[in-house]
Amino acid sequence: MKMLRKQFVNLSRVSTHLPRNVLASRAASRGAEMSTNVAPAETATAPPPVINEFRTGVTNPGEQSELHVAKFYTIPIEEKKQIFSGGGLPKQYEKQIKTFTEACLMVRSPALELLHYIKNADLTKPAVRYVLYGDNGVGKTLTMAHVLHYGALNDFLLVHVPWAPNWMKRPKEAANSASQEGFIDLPFDAAAWLIHFKAQNSKLLQRLQLKTSKEYVWSKRESTPAGATLIELVEHGIARIKYASETTAALISELKQLATAGQCKIMVAIDGYNAFFHPITRIFSDNKQRVSPDRITLTQPFLDITSYDWTNGVCVLSVDKIAMTEGYMSSYMPRYLLGKEGFEHLDPFVPVHVGNYTDKEFISYINYYLDRHWISKTQPGFEEQLKFLSNMNPYTLMRLVRGL
Amino acid sequence: MSLRVLGLNLIKTNRNLLQTAVKNNGAPNAHAVAMAPYATQVTVQATPAAVQKQKVSKAMKAYLERANEHDEFMKTQHLEFQIGKRHLANMMGADAETFTQQDIDEAINYLFPSGLFDKRARPSMRSPEEVFPARKAAEFDETGRPFHSMFYTGKPNYFQLLHDIVTETNKLNDLEERMLRRGNKPDENQKLEMAGSQLLRKEQLERVLVEHIADIEYQNFTSAMERLIISPYAYKSKAFIERFLKPLIDQSKQLEVPKPKIDEQGRQYVTTYECLRKTARADVTVRLPGTGKITINGQDISYFSLEECREQLLFPLSYSKMLGKVDVEANVEGGGPSGQAGAIRWGIAMSLRSFVDQEMIETMRLAGLLTRDYRRRERKKFGQEGARRKYTWKKR
Amino acid sequence: MGFVPYTTLSSLRTLKCCRLMSMYPPHFAEPILKKDSEIINKKDVSHVPIKAAPNDLSDSIFYGVLKNKLLKYITKKGNGSLAKQLLTDTLETIKRTQIERLNLINAEKENVIIDTERILVNAIENSRPLLQLSEIKRGGVKYQVPIPLTEKKSYFLAMKWLLDAAREKDRKVHLPDKLAWEILDAAHGQGRVIKKKDDLHRQCESNRAYAHYRWS
Repeated sequence: MKMLRKQFVNLSRVSTHLPRNVLASRAASRGAEMSTNVAPAETATAPPPVINEFRTGVTNPGEQSELHVAKFYTIPIEEKKQIFSGGGLPKQYEKQIKTFTEACLMVRSPALELLHYIKNADLTKPAVRYVLYGDNGVGKTLTMAHVLHYGALNDFLLVHVPWAPNWMKRPKEAANSASQEGFIDLPFDAAAWLIHFKAQNSKLLQRLQLKTSKEYVWSKRESTPAGATLIELVEHGIARIKYASETTAALISELKQLATAGQCKIMVAIDGYNAFFHPITRIFSDNKQRVSPDRITLTQPFLDITSYDWTNGVCVLSVDKIAMTEGYMSSYMPRYLLGKEGFEHLDPFVPVHVGNYTDKEFISYINYYLDRHWISKTQPGFEEQLKFLSNMNPYTLMRLVRGL
Repeated sequence: MSLRVLGLNLIKTNRNLLQTAVKNNGAPNAHAVAMAPYATQVTVQATPAAVQKQKVSKAMKAYLERANEHDEFMKTQHLEFQIGKRHLANMMGADAETFTQQDIDEAINYLFPSGLFDKRARPSMRSPEEVFPARKAAEFDETGRPFHSMFYTGKPNYFQLLHDIVTETNKLNDLEERMLRRGNKPDENQKLEMAGSQLLRKEQLERVLVEHIADIEYQNFTSAMERLIISPYAYKSKAFIERFLKPLIDQSKQLEVPKPKIDEQGRQYVTTYECLRKTARADVTVRLPGTGKITINGQDISYFSLEECREQLLFPLSYSKMLGKVDVEANVEGGGPSGQAGAIRWGIAMSLRSFVDQEMIETMRLAGLLTRDYRRRERKKFGQEGARRKYTWKKR
Repeated sequence: MGFVPYTTLSSLRTLKCCRLMSMYPPHFAEPILKKDSEIINKKDVSHVPIKAAPNDLSDSIFYGVLKNKLLKYITKKGNGSLAKQLLTDTLETIKRTQIERLNLINAEKENVIIDTERILVNAIENSRPLLQLSEIKRGGVKYQVPIPLTEKKSYFLAMKWLLDAAREKDRKVHLPDKLAWEILDAAHGQGRVIKKKDDLHRQCESNRAYAHYRWS
């Protein structure tokens, strides 16, 4: 009887929790950029440090090597909160992290390759562009997350756009730009990005004490003087949403100058970069015409920072089929997705191919799922079946096992 | 003259009956003899004196005329058939005496090639007995008195059969009782094996009885037969039962399993062409030492985005425990994803037969993997909204 | 699975075609999977032609008889893949809830079932009614007479109630979430569906005096 009641209490607690979680996750999906504290609530205490054969204790991506391929490492909660609170991990992965009560990433060879390049790069030379490409659901975003984690630990200022097509496809609000004729501002999205930037870099910004080089006059009464810290600039953009787009542009040009001057090093990470070169967006101008991405004020600064005319930085970009719209999705190769214009803008760049799991990675992932109680059906040969059905595609595997 | 013809006619039309009766009873017991010749011999013996003495009634006369006519007709038909056969044999340069029905069919097929779809519509030549169905002979003598006691039931043969079944059943029941009293048990070794056979179907039974029977009457026959078969001593009347059984073909041995060929890499392979399902059509190649790779129209399994379709492809492979041991290549066109997946599934299953043992083939057959799915979209009917749905009824 | 074990006799009898307009002749039998094939005599079926396996049949880890049945009841307007998506979402929600509970509690971890199919089966078994009230007119008066249900019907009712309960809740929450709560509740022997079943049983109990109207 006692147990029953206990169960009941548990259950009621669970069911009262559920709607809230659902709402929270929905809010996260819709307005991830708007809210600063949607980090998943860690329900349990810190997990016991179990080291299985599919885990590794090396949590610093800089120290990982070929030995750790196909092994999981845990991102500490604070770091995850700092880097990914404003996006950067796929929604489903966030959910998984919450359920598994740990943020685990698998060390995969594309990420290691990329890290190897970045570690050995000469930062005094112009910024090198790395382009992640691959089919749908192979883990481009997670590879980028892995690199971002490295950047955050190694004092890179992160200029991270979690999912660029969001601006072109579903902006919060579009307004005509005040400063540039015929351009469109996305004030809320720009402010959300500023918040994300601040969350990622606040510690580093405070330590480096970066200053603006010139005075920015926003209106008759508002201006940011030369010599103000970058945090002030960002906070102004957040407080005065109307000027968020211009603040973003100013911030990025400042960052570029500072990096070239050697005061800081910058890691640019833009997911779905090819959205900047898509022929059209879903934003309408005043005369009810669809606007092309280059008429959006947010586009220009991010194109600037991905060009090669500055030093002390790396650019990790990803091109993705689903950043495009229907009719433009027949291939995942960078040349096709970027188009002529985009390709010429980026050329020369280092392409990094992200592929499906290898056998070792697949088995490791299955073991991880089993460890987390995520797969409860273990008839003989179930791995083979999953392998056949998922074609070792990470996303498909994740979707497949969710109902098991 | 007419008498002789009548007698002949009776014998002839009942010949097939006689033959079946004789064939089934290796050693004819008294009972079978009584049942099988439905009143033929009696006619032959009884006629000469009877007709001369008695006046023939009008109905009898009409019947005799009709019988005569039919007999003449059959005779000419038979003659023509013989002549035709002779001609055909000559044309084909074969001996007319040993020219069989199979030879005739081949000759006709050769001389009159036909593109007609329905086989029954194509030209053919068969013996008149086959073309013109057997007719019942007179069941009464010249005075109009029926031979059979059940003549007035309208279906004497059928009811006689029921009667015989019940007699047989009663006999077995008596036997069982006697054996039980004596403490004997039925012989387990001699038990009737019914798995490989089936009762005659209605049309077949009708042909044997030369009578039309209703559905309910066929049901009565089946239930009576079942009661007979269920008896522990059914093997005692095996001969009787087997006359109404039809052997079934063993399903798993029905289709020939193709021999695998060897490709240039030295791997065994089997290709199944014409794998059809709905409107999809595929050809599937399975290669034996493989790694579980699957290629569909040059793509891997991501050709199918739906989980259900992928599961369909998985089904024969995992069911026959060949997952990861063979490579599959498929070319598929037409239809939708579900149909295409079904077509490939059938192709994989059919090809896999060459690489698994007989028992596994049977298991796969039982799972319905080796059956071609003939189901198609049902057509829309006029005056209806769809295949079955009617328009909403409106009073006006 | 409507599997009919073949005795010698029923293999003799030409089986009545259960579906009019079926493409298969009446003597074709339903497919028999490996699990079932142990209980039948191989010799009896070796002569029986088998229908082609339908495209929702499979022996993969994803296949479950009850799951398939529920899938059919969720389906609306033939959109089976949507139904499958909804059911998978439901199972995912159930699994997440269960794992979160597992993480919450410290002791008795074995008592928390994570196998979603087992939870589903438990829920359906718990909400299966045994009796039903049917209206019978005797002497101008309608009586609510309790009559026993067949197994098939009771499974149907259990799944229908679960779905109805999930569908009638407020429309802002998605069906998978609502269905998941209902299933979890029912699996623990609580919730609206179980209450509905108990109410029905109680009514049947109180109307037991009319039971004889079934025959007279």
